[in-house]
Order: sequence, then structure tokens, then C-alpha cells
Amino acid sequence: MAADAAAQLYQAFVDQDPAEAIQVVERMRASGVAQDALFDVLYAPAMGLLGGSWASGAIDEITFTQAAVVAEQVGSFVMPPAATRDTGVTIVLGTIHRDQHSIGRTIVAATLKEAGYRVNDLGIDVRPADFVERVGETGARIVIVFAETMRAARSVASIRDMFVAEGVTGVVLLVSGGPFAADGGLAREVGANGVVTGAEPAIRIVSRVARDLAGGGAED
Amino acid sequence: MAGRSKTIIAAEALARQGQVGAAVHACYDALALGDQGAHVHALLASMMLEGDFYDEAIAEATSAIEADPDCSPAYLALGMAYDRRGGMWDQSVLVWHELAEVVPDLVTAHVQLGEAFAAAAYSEEAVESWRRALELDPREARATYNLAIASLKREGMALALPLFRQAGELDPSQDELFFALLGLTDAPIITVDPARVKPTREARLGAAGLALKADDLFSAAELVRAVLDEQPDDSEALALAAYAYLKQEAANEAMACALRAVSLKPDLAIALYCLGVVYARRTGLKRHAARVFIALAKKAPAHALVHVLLAESLLALQRYEQAGKAYRTAVRLDPACVRARFGLAATYLTEGRHAEASWEIRRAAYYDTKRQRLFWRLYDEYTAGGEES
Repeated sequence: MAADAAAQLYQAFVDQDPAEAIQVVERMRASGVAQDALFDVLYAPAMGLLGGSWASGAIDEITFTQAAVVAEQVGSFVMPPAATRDTGVTIVLGTIHRDQHSIGRTIVAATLKEAGYRVNDLGIDVRPADFVERVGETGARIVIVFAETMRAARSVASIRDMFVAEGVTGVVLLVSGGPFAADGGLAREVGANGVVTGAEPAIRIVSRVARDLAGGGAED
Repeated sequence: MAGRSKTIIAAEALARQGQVGAAVHACYDALALGDQGAHVHALLASMMLEGDFYDEAIAEATSAIEADPDCSPAYLALGMAYDRRGGMWDQSVLVWHELAEVVPDLVTAHVQLGEAFAAAAYSEEAVESWRRALELDPREARATYNLAIASLKREGMALALPLFRQAGELDPSQDELFFALLGLTDAPIITVDPARVKPTREARLGAAGLALKADDLFSAAELVRAVLDEQPDDSEALALAAYAYLKQEAANEAMACALRAVSLKPDLAIALYCLGVVYARRTGLKRHAARVFIALAKKAPAHALVHVLLAESLLALQRYEQAGKAYRTAVRLDPACVRARFGLAATYLTEGRHAEASWEIRRAAYYDTKRQRLFWRLYDEYTAGGEES
């Protein structure tokens, strides 16, 4: 069936009939083929047929070019979704008060956003109270605090203290930055649950934490 | 400016031949004979830099500039020495600024000035310098790589990646990869007359490859068509057609030809290359691009740029650690691969390894200026200017 559909799509390209091409795609989708499989199952084989017809001389150069234009119009209907699905997980992150470093935070924030997380980036020089307040506003249960100086890193402890003082429980506090990478025990000292060592590890650890939270397995 | 002594001319010849030790001796002979001109000090600075003697290079370049404040190659050597020594960004900014004033149309001076600004944490000024470089030469790949790194720092990978790709396409090494896969690395750029090509498959395909290398897409198309008229299922001819379409920005035609070629011969490197490049340009096909470049890396593992293309596709998938591995493979295969150095710097930044990222960017600068033979270009221009005056 997929081969037939690819042949129909190819014919629609050659006939310069974008409406028919879209109908072929829609019929394929209605038959249960997922969006992220349409390109492989339907479009790529049709394009291969197009290349073969041009090579054999069954279609001339002009037809080939016009068919390619129709293929372009249909392309967006078969492309796998570019954006990752929304995970529904909210994360509050920022660089702690008296620290102006922003590169690591920016890269991690952008990576998490692209991975489908709802990121509330508070920026640099964020007071502990602002983290607590934003957690209250958004209902986030994951906080990532960035610190690149020793003094700033130690001050992260005040965020945990404020959560405790405000009676906010079930929030996972993660930390990131040079001091935490250099001193394995520092994160625990400031009451953090874990250390984010980079953008890709951030996805891994947040995904695990989100899974644990969803399963009710998180601890302060 | 006084003329150059015979001793210094001999030192130049030795240095150009790569006989650094003998050239240094000749320079010291010139100094002993009382030649205190800018040339001898500039030459010594360059050779000290070559041997990683940064303080000595700084001293010699400074002497050259004292002897003649218009000695552009000395500014280049001084700036490179400051950059490579590290921790001297303020001085570095001043030197590149001076060079940009002495030789205003020297694109590299603006690129280097930007890198010095970036290292000194003057981000806005850095971006301005790279933009100035691109105004002078819109095809300046290194300025674009630097803008990609700046974008990564300010906005994250998703926005930086298109700039990395844009820079990659400006970088001549990508076309060089295709011709290397085709076995035409050392082939000269010649004019091909399709009418005079022997009417055999091998001769036609060989000539089509040469025509593509010479950017003669019409002759290449004619030769490929002749092959396909006799054998429509010739995967190599289809792959050459795909490349020709890629060069014309006809992505769908390229995809059609490459897909057909790959369906006929799944491990044909040139077809995989074309297909991967087409896929990589579409955000929705990042997984497909990675799959194709993995296959290409298996088929042609000795080419550094194959690993760079794979790494870039992995960056798009947020597989930064794997991308870092692929970039490191590329750097191991070709330490002068500027694109791999910048990509590796990007992966280090995602891990918060800023010092290593800066080091890679400095190495990229070193190899890029070396590749351009910039010192000798400036030296020859400076010498010619002196002899004219």
C-alpha cells in the first residue's frame, strides 16, 4: 500500500498537481501512518521515483524542475515535527544573586526549551526570594541555580532555607557551575539534590527528576 | 625604510622553505652585522612564534614595530603571540586594532580583533568586529563561525546551529570533501570540453567530476546525461547530478537524484554526502541527516570533514557529547580543520568548559592564518611597499 501511495505521490508531482499530492498525503495519514513516519514511508520513495524517471529520460528537465516545485509545496505536510512535544514540566532557573555569569545558564535554558520543557529563566543576579516566589507562581517543582564563584555558590543554601521556611516541599533543587563541578560535596552542603554539569546532562537529569516527580518518588 | 641586506634576503628564503633553525641563524647574523631594520625583527618574531616561544616573539615583533610603526607583518606576529600566550587580551586588542588601521582592508585583522574582544569579555565589540570583517568579505568563514559561537553564548544552540552551517558552506573544505570522496583531491582545475571526452562511462564520469571541480555545471550535466542515457541506473552519475543540483541550490532535485542513487547503491559515499547535506538543511530532517552522516562516517572514516558533518547533525539533535567525540575525531585527523575546532569549542561551551573552548578558537585562528600564509602575504606587501618608496 505504501508503495502504491508513493507512486501516486510521484504521479501528482509529475502532473504538477499539488492538491492531489496533498490528498495522497492525507489518505496516508488517515490510514494510520504517523506524522514522523510520512517522510520515510511516502515522500522519500516518491522522490526516489522522481530521480529515477529523470535519470531514465521518462521526464524531461523542465518537468523534473516543476515536479520539484510541487514536492517543495508538499514538503511541509510530510516533514517530521521540528519541535519537540511539550513535556508539560516547568523549570525555574537563574544565576544566583551577586553573580553575573550567563553563558552556561543561557545554553542550558535554550537546550531544555528545545527539549520541550517550560523554562522560566530569571536571568542573572537573582535573589533567593525571587526563585521561591517564581516557584510559587508557576508551580514548578524543578529549580536550577547557576553560580560560577565560590561565594555565590555557597549562597545557594539560602534558597533551600527559604523553601523550608515558606513550607514549600517537593521542589528539586539542582545546581550548576564551576564550584559545584570542582567540589563534589558542595552541592549537598547547600541543600541541592543534584549537579547539572552541562546542557546534555541537564536534559538527562531533568528528565529523570521529572519522571521521579510524576511517580511521586522525589525527595527534598 | 632602508633596503634589505643580502643576509636578511637569505634568511627569508630559508624561512619560506621551512628551514627555521638556519633562518634564525641568518637573522642573528644580520643583527650582528648591524641590521636593526624591521624586516629582521619581524622575521624573527614569526619564527619564534612558529616554535611557540611567545615571549621572544613578542620582544622581536615589538622591536620591529619600534623600527617601523608601519611594519604590518610584525603586528600580525605580535597579535598572534599575545593571543597564543593567553592572558594578554588588552594588549592583543590594541595590536589587532593597530593592524586594522595599518592595513584597513585586511579582513583577518578584524576577525582577530573580534576574537581578542571576545576573550576580554567585550561581547558587543567582538560582534561588531566580525560584522566589519563580513562587510569587507561576506564569505569570511571564520567571522561567521565566531558569530555562531557568540550566538550560542547568547541564545543557545538552536539559533547558533544555522550560523555554523552557513559558515561551513562558506568554508571551501566542504566542496573539497566531495572531491576527495570522488578521488579528485589532487586533480587540477581544468576546462572540460564534453565533445572531446572519450565516449565511455569512466571517461565521462571522470570528466564530469573535473567539470564540477571547475564549477562548470553545464559540461558536467551534459556528461552525466550521456552516461544516464546509456545506463539510467548508474548510481555514481546520479550522485554527480545530485551535487550539481546542490550547487545550484536546487535541493529537491538534488534529493531526488541522491535518493535514487542511494536506493541503487546504499553505501556510495558521494551520494550519502549529497543526501546528508540536503537533509541537514531542513530542520525536520535532523535525525535523517544524522543517520546518513553516520553511514558516511563508516564508509569514509579517514576524512575529517565527514566527522564534522556528523557532529553538526548531532548538535541539532542535542547530542552534544557525541558531537564532541566526532569533532575530536575530526581534529585528530586534521588538526588544521577550523570548522572542527569551532564546533569542538561549541561543545565545550555546552559543558561549561570555557577555557578549553577558548583554546580551540585560538588554535583555529593559528591554523587559519597559517593556511592563508598571511604572514608572508603581509611581509611581501610590506617589502614591496618599502622598495617602491
